[in-house]
Amino acid sequence: MTSVRTAPDRFNPMALRIRAMWQSDLAWAFRHSPVAMVSFVVVVLLVSGALLAPLVAPHDPFDPATLNLMNGFTAPGTPNAFTGESFWLGTDDQGRDVFSTILFGMRISLLVGFAAVLLGMVIGVTLGLIAGYRGGWTETIIMRVADVQLTFPAILVAMLIFGIAKGFTPVEYRDQIAIWVLILAIGLSDWVQFARVVRGATLVETKKEYVQAAQLIGRSGTAIMIRHILPNVLSPVLVIATISLALAIIAEATLSFLGVGAPPTQPSLGTLIRIGQGFLFSGEWWILFFPACTLLALALSVNLLGDWLRDALNPKLR
Amino acid sequence: MTARASTGVLGLLLATGIAAGTHAETFRWAGTTDPQTMDPHAVSSAPVLGFLNNVYEGLVRRGRDMSIEPALATSWEPIGDGAGWRFFLRQGVTFHDGSEFDAEDVVFSYERASSEASDVRSWFATVSDVIKVDDFTIDVMTNVPNPIFPDSIANWMMMDADWAEANGAERPDKESGNHATLNANGTGAFVLSGRQPGLETVLRPFGGWWGEVEHNITEATFLPIQNPATAVAALLSGDVDLINPVPIQDAERLSGQDAVKVIRGIEARVIMLGFAHEAEALKYGPNTGDPNPFRDVRVREAVASAINVPAILQTIMRGSAEPASQLVSPAMRGFSTANDMRPAFDPDRARTLLADAGYPDGFSFGLKCPNDRYLNDEAVCQAVVGMLAHVGITAELDAMPVRNYWPELREDNFDMYMLGWSPGTFDHEHPIRFLASTPNSEKKLGSWNFGGYSNSRIDELLPMIQSEIDDTRRQAMLDEVTALYQDEHAYVTMYVQPLVWGAQSSVELTQRPDNFFILRWVTVN
Repeated sequence: MTSVRTAPDRFNPMALRIRAMWQSDLAWAFRHSPVAMVSFVVVVLLVSGALLAPLVAPHDPFDPATLNLMNGFTAPGTPNAFTGESFWLGTDDQGRDVFSTILFGMRISLLVGFAAVLLGMVIGVTLGLIAGYRGGWTETIIMRVADVQLTFPAILVAMLIFGIAKGFTPVEYRDQIAIWVLILAIGLSDWVQFARVVRGATLVETKKEYVQAAQLIGRSGTAIMIRHILPNVLSPVLVIATISLALAIIAEATLSFLGVGAPPTQPSLGTLIRIGQGFLFSGEWWILFFPACTLLALALSVNLLGDWLRDALNPKLR
Repeated sequence: MTARASTGVLGLLLATGIAAGTHAETFRWAGTTDPQTMDPHAVSSAPVLGFLNNVYEGLVRRGRDMSIEPALATSWEPIGDGAGWRFFLRQGVTFHDGSEFDAEDVVFSYERASSEASDVRSWFATVSDVIKVDDFTIDVMTNVPNPIFPDSIANWMMMDADWAEANGAERPDKESGNHATLNANGTGAFVLSGRQPGLETVLRPFGGWWGEVEHNITEATFLPIQNPATAVAALLSGDVDLINPVPIQDAERLSGQDAVKVIRGIEARVIMLGFAHEAEALKYGPNTGDPNPFRDVRVREAVASAINVPAILQTIMRGSAEPASQLVSPAMRGFSTANDMRPAFDPDRARTLLADAGYPDGFSFGLKCPNDRYLNDEAVCQAVVGMLAHVGITAELDAMPVRNYWPELREDNFDMYMLGWSPGTFDHEHPIRFLASTPNSEKKLGSWNFGGYSNSRIDELLPMIQSEIDDTRRQAMLDEVTALYQDEHAYVTMYVQPLVWGAQSSVELTQRPDNFFILRWVTVN
């Protein structure tokens, strides 16, 4: 996977490393896949737009003091009839610049997406490793729990967790913790995929000689799992993580669209779409259209990247 | 009892059969708010009372033009010189379960509606007693002369004493509910035949109704549809025959369609912001526990000056609402023309006032809002948050459905809140009694004055207004009260809500200014 082609080293180690990465199989596959390259560019653009939102966005939509209600419902590119101000992608009913709300909304969506996948991955990989390595009752319990959870649609599980968490929090803190509850809900609904794949890969690895050798020299089970097995089961995890990211972003948007996710004062892409949906019939299409397009572009390109990664890491397809 | 019930059912079947022979029509209508109870005395809010006006009836009712007409009472007359009113009851009226309506039921309905647990007890603030004279005559005795009493009881609905007793619903229960919360037994033109809270409520015509049937409906279903766009889609696709309200932003487009029509009017409802007047400390935000700034009239005036009502009307309400200077709209009796000025939008003045009051850097507080009760309620609240931020006050908005909203307000969980008020009597005295007089459970006053606004002069004037027969003197007192609550900025009255309904073109109906949808005036062609 990371085979380094030997060449006379006339460069410093850093350049050598970059050169090695450029020449790796993965990079080669990337350079020969236009879909992957386009998706990558889109993801980088969107993510950097979100990260740099406070610098890039023309307005801060979270600061109500900067809003002017009279700017409400300005169409894209045309000056507002009362204030004369013009907005690239128009404004919503509160006079918020749609472009800025998208950039800031994407921050919430990406934060929830990444954090939820990370949470799901940590839980799933840990449980998968334990189940695969220990076997026996431990495995049965973990995998049956996973099977039961798999019979529920992930969005239902997320809604259930969200509902329970909301019930336990005092009303005045709900908005502040809504984002963290979202992360928890989506992360906990999503660990099963990781656990199943890691368990399968671990079962295969455990039979291999290097693991048996490590066992013979007396290394502890935890050390074997983390130091020896984990690095060898990571590549499918990477693929699932990428695809899960797209799913987590969509799950967040769905929850927020249903009104149980991010609060209107901290709108994510899903909240923006929910707000915009109210104006579909009255002709203010841009309030819904642009956030929806952004969600589509983000989820699609992350998904395509994940697909490409799966193919690139699959030795049978080489 | 069983025999009676079965005749009722038989009558119902007959009526259905007959109607089916001519013009059988099932009618479906949608609104944003599900009436949270079927108990006519448990919640005094328009969605509940409006819906139940189809099932229950009062001694009097309002006609198409809001005038008072006889219902379960055929006539009435004052007793002596302002001692009370005598009502002569309609004979031969039966409840939906077949039992007879008589004076016992009126006395019981008075006791029930004026009990501690009732939400409508302030209707009976001036009533000292209700006496059965004979089976079809009752006397309502009042502490003071009350010339408008028959005008004020159109929503006082009659419940069967035996039915309530048999089902353990002698008193309303607004928190946990009882048999009357999900079931109904009125005398009205429609029978409640299915109730699934939040999903659908089904009504069927009552075959034994005493009145003359004007509608041609065989079954009517009410569906709560919270999302305005969904409601519009349902209307356009023909899934429902009527929606109330039409989202203001969609009214224009719907008017242009042949299959549907938009029915507009000015509602009696004034949308306003209320304050916690009594609370010692702030309850929400980073300043929780600090002394409550809204006790200071300067702060309340600053809020009033900071809110740009014309901008809200221009954008969010799309130019289809009128600013409100007081607790009632100009169409109501007793409107104070002398005080028809609302605070001008003046953010500089707001900042100065805040600085004078000791808040040059502003403060944070919690604003509660419903999100399925009034037209664009949440959007208006968000705009208010923005406007207050411009003068340095940070409002933390908590918007929720009404079924959670009223309990929150009743428990004083707010620093500031949004409220809409439509006077059931179409008179200025009504909101003064409910919203401006000091809350007094014993005297049944101020029951919706959540913030605890109190002014001794208003409390003194209210009974005088209630018993004054001379219009000029009455208006002078109303003017004085208006000036008092305006000067103290008890509420920030913002605008009069427009009434926008959408219906299939084949539906004929009457839109009443109190936003009550009266099913017996509907015909489907």
